Amino acid sequence: MNPQRRRWLHTLAAAAATTGTTTPASARAGTEATTPDPVRRGRPIVFPRDHGAHLGVRTEWWYATGWLAGAAAAARPGAGSDTHATPLLGFQVTFFRSRTGLAQDLPGRFAPRQLLFAHAAVTDLGNKRHLHDQRIVRWNEDPAASTGRAALADGDVHIGAWAMRRTASAWATQVLARDFSLDLTLAASQAPLLQGDAGYSRKGPQDRQASHYYSEPQLQAGGSMTLQRRTATLAGRAWMDHEWSDEILHPEAVGWDWVGMNLFDGSALTAFVLRRKDGSPLWAGGSWRAAGSAASSFGPQQLQWTPGRRWRSPASGASYPVEWQLATPAGNFSVRALLDAQELDSRGSTGSIYWEGLSELLDAGGRRVGLGYLEMTGYAGRLKMA
Amino acid sequence: MSLLPASWAHIGPVIAPLMWPLMRREWQHHPWRHAVALLAVALGVALAYSVHLINTSALAEFSSAVRTANGEPDLTLRAPQAALGGQAGFDDALFDRVAADPGVEIASPVLEVDTYAQAADGKRVAMRVLGIDTLRAAPLAPGLLPKPASGEGNLVVLDPDAAFPNPAARDRLGLADGQAMLLQAGPAWQRLRVAGTTPVGGAPLVVMDIAAAQQRFGLQGRLSRIDLRLVPGTQRAVLLARLNLPAAVQPVAPDDAEQRVSNLSRAYRVNLTVLALVALFVGAFLVFSVVSLSVAQRTPGFALLGVLGMTALERRAMVLAECAVLGAAGSLLGLALGAGMALGALRFLAGDLGGGYFPGITPALHIGPGSALLFAALGTASAVVGGWWPARQAEHIAPAQALKGMGLVDTTAPPAWPGLALLVGGTLAACAPPLFGLPLAAYLGVAALLLGGVALVPCVVHAVLLWVPPPRGALALLAVQRARFQRRTATAAVAGVVASLALSVALTVMVASFRTGVSQWLDSVLPADLYARSAGSSAAGEQAWLPADFSARAAAIPGVERVLASRTRALMLASDRPSVALIARPFGEPADPAQALPMVEPPLAPSVLKPGEAGVYVSEAMVALYGAKTGSTLLLPLADPPATARVLGVWRDYARQFGAIAIASSDYQRMTGDTRINDLALWLAPGADAGAVQQALRSLLPDPSMLDFAASADLRVLSLRIFDRSFAVTYYLQAVAIAIGLVGIAASLSAQVLARRKEFGLLAHLGLTRGQVVAVVAGEGAAWVAAGTLVGLVLGLAVSMVLVFVVNPQSFHWTMQLVLPWGRLALLCVAVLLAGIATAAFSARSAAGRSAVLSVKEDW
Repeated sequence: MNPQRRRWLHTLAAAAATTGTTTPASARAGTEATTPDPVRRGRPIVFPRDHGAHLGVRTEWWYATGWLAGAAAAARPGAGSDTHATPLLGFQVTFFRSRTGLAQDLPGRFAPRQLLFAHAAVTDLGNKRHLHDQRIVRWNEDPAASTGRAALADGDVHIGAWAMRRTASAWATQVLARDFSLDLTLAASQAPLLQGDAGYSRKGPQDRQASHYYSEPQLQAGGSMTLQRRTATLAGRAWMDHEWSDEILHPEAVGWDWVGMNLFDGSALTAFVLRRKDGSPLWAGGSWRAAGSAASSFGPQQLQWTPGRRWRSPASGASYPVEWQLATPAGNFSVRALLDAQELDSRGSTGSIYWEGLSELLDAGGRRVGLGYLEMTGYAGRLKMA
Repeated sequence: MSLLPASWAHIGPVIAPLMWPLMRREWQHHPWRHAVALLAVALGVALAYSVHLINTSALAEFSSAVRTANGEPDLTLRAPQAALGGQAGFDDALFDRVAADPGVEIASPVLEVDTYAQAADGKRVAMRVLGIDTLRAAPLAPGLLPKPASGEGNLVVLDPDAAFPNPAARDRLGLADGQAMLLQAGPAWQRLRVAGTTPVGGAPLVVMDIAAAQQRFGLQGRLSRIDLRLVPGTQRAVLLARLNLPAAVQPVAPDDAEQRVSNLSRAYRVNLTVLALVALFVGAFLVFSVVSLSVAQRTPGFALLGVLGMTALERRAMVLAECAVLGAAGSLLGLALGAGMALGALRFLAGDLGGGYFPGITPALHIGPGSALLFAALGTASAVVGGWWPARQAEHIAPAQALKGMGLVDTTAPPAWPGLALLVGGTLAACAPPLFGLPLAAYLGVAALLLGGVALVPCVVHAVLLWVPPPRGALALLAVQRARFQRRTATAAVAGVVASLALSVALTVMVASFRTGVSQWLDSVLPADLYARSAGSSAAGEQAWLPADFSARAAAIPGVERVLASRTRALMLASDRPSVALIARPFGEPADPAQALPMVEPPLAPSVLKPGEAGVYVSEAMVALYGAKTGSTLLLPLADPPATARVLGVWRDYARQFGAIAIASSDYQRMTGDTRINDLALWLAPGADAGAVQQALRSLLPDPSMLDFAASADLRVLSLRIFDRSFAVTYYLQAVAIAIGLVGIAASLSAQVLARRKEFGLLAHLGLTRGQVVAVVAGEGAAWVAAGTLVGLVLGLAVSMVLVFVVNPQSFHWTMQLVLPWGRLALLCVAVLLAGIATAAFSARSAAGRSAVLSVKEDW
């Protein structure tokens, strides 16, 4: 890719992911005027409607992460709770939607009212490789658009041949990337987990820095993956996040760190922290849900993230803590990346560079108690996510 | 170099070190003469090289601008510019199907609109608008992507109000970031905001978002093209079969677009190059004359060298080596000169030397070593070829004889067959069909005709002098007899005149025929008093149109007697060829196309049309490029399925080299439903004020600048002025050619006089005065020049026929009638004759000085 195009894509994509602060006031006014369903405390989360898209809200994502191993191993009874589960691969499939505030009165199939983009990444632990690809399209909000659309009534978003769709109690996703392809089913084994206050999740000291956010942990993942022209049937565990908001990033925040961990005993740990430029926490949150119990949310002061060993990306020059100490009301844990090099350069779509990778969760005794994904943003320049 | 003889090998170690000092001595003794020859080669090389450089630079610049705007897709799906229902492009529903195909990795939709922008001074500037989806175009056409101005919002590339003009557009319109940009959409202006720029070079262009472009230009749901990147391994044919494209949409390989750009100007470029090579050709004749003179002068020297052991082959090699050095030096000078000329021309003229093929670009000079080597080789080869015959002279010197002053006496008549064979071969080549769409064989034929004519000069001298009765006076008799006796040398003397006169005659006849043709054609295509048009090009007619009722409203204006409205659109019939112009116009009631168009032959009656067919009249280029002969059918992609049209007649069109189709407005409107118009021809009532009519017409439009006016007389004058300007270079070439021919006469006669000093000395001793000797020589010269003029005239007429009947139709696909401007030709011939005789006398006078009298004593 030539540098000029890179630069341009960077600008565009940064723009695409932008919300609030950098948007012209008129566009924002337009958004507010036509938002029938804003983010607010007390708004009930209703399924399957809230699996679908919320077009009036600026930013929205469907975020599936997980690990896969040989189908035979993963299909063993009780594999989910097997403390010695050995993942072969990690995967991430994310669909983003961004409302542009433009072209409200423009007719035609190319009217750019919404942008849809998608990232897909595979971590090949055996070969220590991290592969990723991305897509971006405009959408005129026509529910029948074939190039890319997001359904309102249930989870169903796709861009060309890339899709994430809910059927009955499972998500199905198909990705046809440059170096790999995925065709996975993520079947629910537990009820959705409403984050924050019944799905209203604060992201900063002010009320408007909030999102609607629910997770589906402990999904049973299965399906096929093609890598290096070899197709394998695999199975494992996955985590699904669906979140929508008008403003997530406080002006002082440069990025965030997040983990979503499936514990082998069926528990789920969610934790996030929004960082200032100097690394100090601006806001934090998360939840703990033991298998079969109700979820308990963490207050902003109840979490402590302590960075450990760092890894410097040769591509971006950013330095990421790939090991963390995590003090939570549910206990003290360590988070350790299973591969250092899991950085994504998504300047071709969302415009950001971030780290998103398969990691293990260790208890205070150093035993592996779970697997999941660690996300670190804003290490290669402030995340343009407002 | 293949032109050099095997005798190079004979230049032994003894002779070789001797050659350089000998050459240097010769050049020191006659610096001016050799300088002229060197300059002739240099000029020829310079002209040819500069034309080549300008052409390649302009083409490279233009192609790269086109490539940047087109990007580098694997395949493009494109509709002819004028299409279904009179709307541009094709239905954008196709895009969904194409983008979803598993063989397609990236599909990028593009809407191309040719229209006008309003400059700060209110004038209209032709503008190409590209509506693109920046998200999809990024990988395919990175050079096209907008660069938002600082301070613009991050999503500005999707903003329906944002425009990104390229540097040429910003420059022409005087636009700065944040200012309003006005673009014509039909009879109204669309206002956009300059929100940055796009780095595409070339002509004025503006990039905007595709959704906004569709809406702003009334092309809702239309696309001009879809650029594709295919999934690796996708078979193009399989993909196309699966896509099952509508008839109006054609798959185009990226090479086709490149080819189209190159084809646009190819014939023009090749003809210009050939014209430039003529200068090199004439330069070879000058080398021939100068070296002939030099060999004649050095005959005693060569004889001495011969006696000392230099072989005949070595003498030839030495002369050829001299020519090669001269040619190489001239070529080097010519390359430098040519590069300088090209630089100047690119800076101060347009890149297309006035041909109008590369609008709006100021190319940088592209100099490659390959072409420089080629032109240096051509220049050197021309000098070596020019020196070939003198070298043979030096070879054939009989040293002992020559030392006695009996040098170049060869009285046998040269055989006529080589010249005749060249004439026959040339004629045959001239009749050959075009090669690669170019009249290459005809050019070869012209060269063969010229060479054959030159070779036949001695025979013609012989034949002419046979007809001349032996004159009474002793001096005249002497001159005629000498001319007959020395006819072999006549070739050397008048070859240059024959060649240059033939070229001059040919160019004069061709230009006169063309000009007469254009003049008559203008009469026929400009019957009205006043012309008004909304678009300067058929492509811009898609946006810059006038409403259908404009014609009726114009007819109602006081002073307007009659109005003829037409619609002109660009129609792409073949993806690798430039668009043809489609002209929809009424043909009168009852239809009389012969009255409306300059038909080549009487057209067929509309009664030959089968049901469902429309009758069309095509320009000659349509016949040459698309085989659209009278009576054949054409498929017009104006509807889906394409409409069938039958060619009822062929007309002359000197304005559109790539073809034009005239169709009745009623047929066109029935096919497309498009009732818009672009052009009005207005007949004014006697005494009507054209200015007032223009004013009234302009007031019918929201913006008066949307209509351009021209009076018929002005258009005529303007057209002929453009014609004369573009052919001015041929007058210059004629002058150069004739000057070189005359220098050739002077040099040859001087050589003759020098070689025959003893003869003149003898005449002087017999009692002839110097004046009488000069008169004899001048008389001889006159006889030769007369023969040369005759040959040159006949040859020139033959070459002009090749130019008029072969080169022009094959290059530009238009025919014309041969017009012989006898007055100018006679003037030309008389001028050359007189100049030739004067030159002969002058040369004889300066050469036959007193030394001739003394030279008799040299005999030993």
